[in-house]
Amino acid sequence: MDTMLFTARSLWTMTHGMALGGGAMIGLAVALFSLRAMRVAGGADATADRQARHVAWLIVVTASLLWSSVLLGTYVTFPAYRATPPPGITDLSQYPKALIQSNPGTAWLHSFAMETKEHVPWIAAMLATAVASVGLRYRAKLLGDRQLNDMATVLLVICFVLVSFVALLGVFVNKVAPLE
Amino acid sequence: MASIERRREAVANGAALAAFLAAGIGAFALGMIVILNETGLFAAPALYAPAGGVTGRTTLAAAIWLIGWAVLHRRWKDRQIEARALYSLSLALIGLGLLLTLPPVWKLF
Repeated sequence: MDTMLFTARSLWTMTHGMALGGGAMIGLAVALFSLRAMRVAGGADATADRQARHVAWLIVVTASLLWSSVLLGTYVTFPAYRATPPPGITDLSQYPKALIQSNPGTAWLHSFAMETKEHVPWIAAMLATAVASVGLRYRAKLLGDRQLNDMATVLLVICFVLVSFVALLGVFVNKVAPLE
Repeated sequence: MASIERRREAVANGAALAAFLAAGIGAFALGMIVILNETGLFAAPALYAPAGGVTGRTTLAAAIWLIGWAVLHRRWKDRQIEARALYSLSLALIGLGLLLTLPPVWKLF
């Protein structure tokens, strides 16, 4: 018997949430740790410059993962999620939005969770991009300048919280109405 | 070593502030576009029909973010600017933008 383990839709969803979104979360966590652990007081030296280069590229990769997840989510998985079922259909399993809204107990997964997921990740991606650009331009100063380091850390903390929150909402939606 | 010191001193903080403030502007723009859409005052056209209006809203906000960033960067990249107030403004704009994208807040308008 020929059984497909994963459909194309579920593979796209896993790529969006687990590979790209999960990768971005790991990148954000490592970048945050690095920004604090590698912070240097006073001036920069050759070691700090080398470390700062690694941190900068880590944040660039993280921002790229985040943008990839955001764009894939918006343009590939979201259309499949919100597809309108044909009239008269009773099995809504292929129409996640309609399935969620058909039950008052799960309707909040669209009205709150998905509505939040539509916009908030874009803000997270903007924040990560801002910090990545600063990392590339300022290199060692990002680790040596306390004010710059603090602001970059604050923005990445906000970014991490936002990504974690929307990821959790995505898990809830996918639990009730997976894209299969 | 000397080259590193020279570079540290040469790089003014203006470009960083431009990037941070532009992120705040982008976040606030998205929040405003979303709330205007929810109140029926302005609807950005969908750029990709299967995904709906979110494509227009987010693309417009991203364009505002990038244009704002380019303008600020051009003006500030070589300047040393007092950062504290601009950091606060950036965080305030980010906070407001986030607030306006949350569905429970839409019901207040």
